[in-house]
Amino acid sequence: MPSAQAALQRARRLARQRFTDPERRRGLLVAFEGPDGSGKTTQRKLFKTWLKSEGYDVVTTKWNSSDLIKPIIKSRKAVRALSPEEFSLLHGADFRHRVEQVILPALWEGKLVIADRFLFTGLARDVARGLDLDWVLKLYQPLLWPDLVFYFSVSPVTSGKRVTATRLPSYYEAGQDITDVDDPVESYQRFIARVIREYESLALIFNFITVDAEQSIAEQHRQIRDLFIDGQQRPWSAWNVDAVAEWLALDKRRR
Amino acid sequence: MSAAARPGRAKLIAVDGVDAQAVFAAARAALAASTAGTPAGTRGGVSRWDASGIFQDLEVAEEEAGSPSPRTILLLYAADLAFRLRWQVRPALAEGRTVVVAPYVQTAIAFGRAAGLPATWLENLFRFAPRASERHVVAARDPNAAAMKEGFVGLASAHVAGINAPARKRLITATETHLRRDRHRRPRGRGGRPTRRAPP
Repeated sequence: MPSAQAALQRARRLARQRFTDPERRRGLLVAFEGPDGSGKTTQRKLFKTWLKSEGYDVVTTKWNSSDLIKPIIKSRKAVRALSPEEFSLLHGADFRHRVEQVILPALWEGKLVIADRFLFTGLARDVARGLDLDWVLKLYQPLLWPDLVFYFSVSPVTSGKRVTATRLPSYYEAGQDITDVDDPVESYQRFIARVIREYESLALIFNFITVDAEQSIAEQHRQIRDLFIDGQQRPWSAWNVDAVAEWLALDKRRR
Repeated sequence: MSAAARPGRAKLIAVDGVDAQAVFAAARAALAASTAGTPAGTRGGVSRWDASGIFQDLEVAEEEAGSPSPRTILLLYAADLAFRLRWQVRPALAEGRTVVVAPYVQTAIAFGRAAGLPATWLENLFRFAPRASERHVVAARDPNAAAMKEGFVGLASAHVAGINAPARKRLITATETHLRRDRHRRPRGRGGRPTRRAPP
């Protein structure tokens, strides 16, 4: 369809102009990643408060939180009805919907988006469930790369201790759909070890900034601030042009 | 001898098209033709879309939740297809029965192509779906007829095109064109490629 191709080309040009305009504060995307119990959410909240005090317009988006898809996932998790493929595809759909409805519109307006978990969560969990990395990664295309990814690194033992200190992990959180272990705590320990192994591979491949999440909360927060101040100067990643252009073309078609 | 003891008779038949009523009628006809002469109760059946109820749930979502894009819709279709394969198709095939899957992968791929999505992404998305041993594409009697609303393409295009009726019609017509164009084309060799690794 030549007109669709031409529209996409125009959208690409527009995306480059918008995100590389030196006269405008461009949108920034910062992702917080790590296993459950790594303290990401605490750090995300502290970081957001600090950013606001610095004058940033901040938007937060959490994993599995779209108004459209989350209820679909929730009801199926409740009856333990998801295979690894269905789990992966539904979380991919939730992510895509948030990218189009929340993340890209905010970045376009020059806001700072903090993602409490990003697509790397899907990759780590799905691959830990035995799915092929190549298949899962392509589900998330066109890829949108964050400007910064903070990876909160903890051992499986620390993650297990923190998560099980006050509650039992849920069926899918504990990976009981694939471990065949009846005890959720034991299943969690086995599953989270696999998830962390995948995260550590991803951290190397995608150049995450690793934060030692066994440090004190204050130390981690200071480190994140410093790393952000350095990292925000990075140029816009041209890899993101396809994701932005597709969203622009779609948005125009809708109007 | 029961059908379960004759796994060689198992057959996956794909029936694709944008016209939901015509697709279902063709699916029943394909099942009847394929299982003629086999004892009742061992013939298999038809797997229809949204057996998982995902799209039914989508229909009742609040308007403020936003309209899904073609990619999001296809991810949901793939999740529904994974459900159908797990609960309807594979068990029936394992018992040596015939299953007609209506619609299957081609309808979704044609919809994605009509919406401008890359063929490589679409092929990867449905990599988990096994190759059909027989494929049928059913032409729509009228791509703009009311019957379209009942099918996947009708519902999906209504979501994507929002309230813009001409855009919706164009999308349905383009899907039909892609389906017709590709009806004799053999699927590229990726169907049924495992999406799972060996257990760690």
